[in-house]
Amino acid sequence: MAYAIPEENYDLLETVREFAQKEIKEQCKEYDVSGEFPQEIYDQMIEMGLHTLEIPEEYGGMGLDKVTVAALLEQVSIADAGFGTSLAATGLAYKAILISGTEEQKQKYADVLTESGFACFCLTEPMAGSDPGNSKTTAVKDGDEYVINGRKCFITNAGKGGFYVITAMTDKSKGIHGMSAFVVDADTPGLSIGNHENKMGIRCSTTADVVFEDCRIPAENLLGEEGQGYKIAMKTLDLARPYMGCVAVGIAQRAIDESIAYMKERIQFGKPIGKNQGLQFKLADMQIKCETARQMVAHAVSLQDTDKKFSVESSIAKAYAGDAAMECASEAIQIFGGYGYSREYPVEKLLRDAKIFQIFEGTNEIQKIVIANNLLGKF
Amino acid sequence: MEILVCIKQVPDDSVEVSLNQATGKADIEKIAPIVNAFDGYALEMATRFKEAHGGNITVVSVGPDKARDSLRNCCAVGASKAFLVKDEATEGSDTLGTAYTLSKAVAKIEEENGVKFDIIFCGKETTDFTSSQVGPMLAQLLNLPQVTNIVGLEPAEGGLAVKQETEEGYNMIDVATPCVVTVAKPEYDPRYPTMKNKMAARKVVIPDITAADMGADTALMGETAAKVKVAKVYEPAKKEAGVKIKEQTVEETVAKAVGIMLDAKVF
Amino acid sequence: MILVYIETAEGKAKNVGLEMLTAAKIISDKAVAVLIGTGNDEAVKQAASYGADEVITVENAVYSTDAYCYIMKSLVEKYSPEAVFVGSTLDGKDFAPRLAAQLGTGCVTDVVNIKVEDGKAVYTCPSYNGNLLNDMTAEASPVVAIIRSGSFKKADPAEKEVNVIAESIAVPADEIRTKIAETVKEISETVNLEEADVIVSGGRGMGAPENFALVKELADLLGGVVGATRAPIESGWISRAHQIGQSGKIVAPKLYIACGISGATQHVSGMIGSDYIVAINKDEDAPIFDIANVGIVGNVLEVLPLMIEEIKKARA
Repeated sequence: MAYAIPEENYDLLETVREFAQKEIKEQCKEYDVSGEFPQEIYDQMIEMGLHTLEIPEEYGGMGLDKVTVAALLEQVSIADAGFGTSLAATGLAYKAILISGTEEQKQKYADVLTESGFACFCLTEPMAGSDPGNSKTTAVKDGDEYVINGRKCFITNAGKGGFYVITAMTDKSKGIHGMSAFVVDADTPGLSIGNHENKMGIRCSTTADVVFEDCRIPAENLLGEEGQGYKIAMKTLDLARPYMGCVAVGIAQRAIDESIAYMKERIQFGKPIGKNQGLQFKLADMQIKCETARQMVAHAVSLQDTDKKFSVESSIAKAYAGDAAMECASEAIQIFGGYGYSREYPVEKLLRDAKIFQIFEGTNEIQKIVIANNLLGKF
Repeated sequence: MEILVCIKQVPDDSVEVSLNQATGKADIEKIAPIVNAFDGYALEMATRFKEAHGGNITVVSVGPDKARDSLRNCCAVGASKAFLVKDEATEGSDTLGTAYTLSKAVAKIEEENGVKFDIIFCGKETTDFTSSQVGPMLAQLLNLPQVTNIVGLEPAEGGLAVKQETEEGYNMIDVATPCVVTVAKPEYDPRYPTMKNKMAARKVVIPDITAADMGADTALMGETAAKVKVAKVYEPAKKEAGVKIKEQTVEETVAKAVGIMLDAKVF
Repeated sequence: MILVYIETAEGKAKNVGLEMLTAAKIISDKAVAVLIGTGNDEAVKQAASYGADEVITVENAVYSTDAYCYIMKSLVEKYSPEAVFVGSTLDGKDFAPRLAAQLGTGCVTDVVNIKVEDGKAVYTCPSYNGNLLNDMTAEASPVVAIIRSGSFKKADPAEKEVNVIAESIAVPADEIRTKIAETVKEISETVNLEEADVIVSGGRGMGAPENFALVKELADLLGGVVGATRAPIESGWISRAHQIGQSGKIVAPKLYIACGISGATQHVSGMIGSDYIVAINKDEDAPIFDIANVGIVGNVLEVLPLMIEEIKKARA
C-alpha cells in the first residue's frame, strides 16, 4: 500500500510529505489559476535539495535507491502534479548525461544542476513529436564548436534550466542515425525561450519553446559520439518514463484521498455517501488501479539497477499510470457530484493535470508500439 | 558560543485530544509525536544565531526512546550533538522535577563537551500543558539570569542584546552570558531540513544519559517528588450548540437573529 | 492567607489582579494584595475596593525578574502565605515559576477555576489546547498559582479602608542580572480585550482589510472592542494587539460576535469562555457553529450592514 522503501528512509519520506502538504498543496491553487510560475515555492524545494535526489553519490548526490526516489516524488506529486513534473523532467535531462556523458560531463552537470535547480530535455519539435526522426534542428561542426539552429517545443522547465540536453541532426542524410545529442549551458548566446504554453493542467510547471539561432557550443559538449543521439534519447526515455508514471500515480492517489474524505462527510439520504456500496466499489476500483500502477513503477525502476532489460516495463508503467490517473481523477469528480465540477473543490484540477500523462514522454500509443515491438521482434 | 537547546516531544498539537475513559488520562497514544512548536522556533533561532556568529549547538530532551527521532531531526537542522535523558525515575515529574533533571543534564553535558554553555534556549511553553514554567525554573536551578518570551537576540558587549516581545511592541534587554532564554514565535518559520542534512544526521550518535550518569538524586524527580499533583483529568462541559439560522433572504436571516439576541438581552 | 500580586500599569491595577482577590476568597479568609512599583496609590484604593483585606506596597523602580523574585520571596518568608497568586501576564509568567523554584514549591499555570475538595484547595488548569481540564493539588506550601485573566469575576466594588503596609525591601544591585535597555511601542493603539464586555472579531472570511471597518462599526455600536484571528493578522490587515486565541489573548466577554471565522481550535480555545456567542459564516458546516448560541449562515459582508441597521432600529 505504498512504495516498499528501506526503513531508514521513512524520515525522509515524512519530511517531504510534510513539506508538500504544508507548502505546496494549498499554495499551488492560485498559481494554477493565474498560470504564474510559483518561484518562491520552487526556491524552498531547491533549498531542501529535492532536485538532487537522482544524482549518484559519486557525483555528490545522496545515493538514494530508485524506489525511495519514486516514493519521495509521489509525495510532491500528490500535492501538485506540476511540481512533480518539473522534478521528473529535471531528472530526465540529467539521466541523458549519466548514460552517455564523460566523467567530467557527469560531474560538471551534477554541480550545475545542484546550483540551478532545474534542467531541460529537448527532443520534441513542432514537426517532430511521436516521430523524433523528423527533426529539423541542425548541429553543424565549425572548428571546435557546433552551431545549433532550430526550435524545440513543449519543453518543461524552459528558461529555468541550468542546462539543456538537446538532440540535433549532424547528418540529415542518415535519418535517425544522423542525430546527435548535446548539452547546452543556460545563457549560451543564441539560445532563447519562446512561446510559453497556456496549458490545460500541470500549470505550476513551466512549458515553452526553446529556440536556437546560430547558437555556438564547444565541441566537447557532444554527448557520446555523432550519430548516437537517437539511441541516447530512447534509452533516456526508457529510464525516465517510470518516473512520469510515478507523478501520475500521485494524481491518482490524491484523487483517492480526496474521495475518501468527501465520502465520509457528505450526507445524503440521511447518511454519509460512503455508506453506499456503489461508491465503495468505485473507490475500490480506483485503489486497484492506483496501487497496480504504483507497483509497476516500483518494478520498472528496480529493474534499472539489474542487468535485465526494462523497456517494456517502463512503457507499461508510464502508460498504465497515465490511464489510472485519468480514471481516478474522473471518478473522483463523479463522487463529488456537482461540487466536483467546481473550481472551489480540488478534484477538477486533477483531471486537467492527468491528461498530459497519456501524452508526453511518448504518447500511450507510442508506448504500445514499444511494447508490441519488444514482444514481436522482427518478423 | 556554546548553545544548548532543550526540546520536548509532544503529541501533534493540530489533533484534538480526548479523555481515555479507561485510564482517566489524555488519549495520546495514537497521536504522532512532534517537536514542540516553540522548541522548534528556539532551534531555528539558535541555528540562525550560529550561522551568523559561529558556535556549536547541542540538543537535549528528557523522554523515552522515541524522542531520539526528534533529536535526530534537530541534528538535521542545526545541532551537531544530541543527548537523550532516559530514566524511569523521571516519569511523572512535575515541572520542578523536570527542571531539576535538566539542570543535572546540563552539568553532565558540559562535562562531556568539555565546555560550558553560553546560552540555553527553551521554548516559552509546550503545546501540551502550556505551563511555561520549565525555562524559568531551570534558570533558577542553574543560578543563571533569564529572559523570557524572546523573538531575537544578538551578541553584545558583555553578553547579549535580547529582543523580548511585549503586548505593545518589544523590550531590548541586556544580559550577560551564560543565561537562559525562552523563545516565542519569531517573524520567521522553522526551516525544513535539507535532504543532505537529514542523511548526515543519521550518523550522529545520540547517547542516553541516566540519573546515575548525571549524579542526580532520584528522590528529587518523578511522581514522589512532585510538588503539584494531578488529582483528576476530565473533559470540559461541551458548549451546547445553539440555533443556526438560514432564511430565504439575508434580510430575514438577520432580522430573526437580532430578534433572538434582543430576547436574550445581550445588548 | 493568600498573597495576591496585583500588577499595575500607570498606577492602576490590572483587571486580572483584582479578579484574583475573588479567587483568593474561595480558599482563604484573608487576601493580601501586593503592589510593587511606584506611584501605585490609585491601585491601593482599587485593591481595597475589590476585596483585599490588607495591602502591602513595595517601592521598586523598574521590573526585573531577579528584583521581583527577591521581593516576593522576602514577603513569603515574612508572611508565610499558603499560596501566592500571580496574574497570567508576561511579567507574571516570567517571575512566578522562578519564584516557585526558589521556594522549592510547586507552580500551577493558567488556572481557570479554584475549589475546595476534602479540605484541600484544588486548582483547575487546561491542557491540550483546552481539550482537557486537570484538577491539581499542591503538595508543598506555598503554591504559586498563575491565574488566567477573565476566569474569575471582580467583586462589586465597595470603598473600604484597609491596613496598608509599606515594606521596604532593598534588592542588592548585584542580584539584578538583566536590564531593560529600551522599550519600544510598536502598536500605538491600546486594545483592552480582556476587560471588554463585548468583542466583535473578524477572521479570514472578512476577505480584505477594508472590510474590517464593518467589524469596527458593529463593535463601536455595541460599545465593544475589535478582535481578530491569526489569519488577518498574519496578512497584515490588523495589528496583533487584537489577536484572540492560543497565541493571542484569552477572553471571556459577555457577548462575542465571530465574523467570517471558521472556528479552528486555536481560536476557539481563546474565546470559548464567552457568555454568549454569535457566529456569522457562509459555510453552514463551519465548526464555529458548534459552539455558537446563535449561528447566522450568510455572507458576512451582507449580514453585518443589515445587522447594524437592525440594532440601530431596535434601539431607536
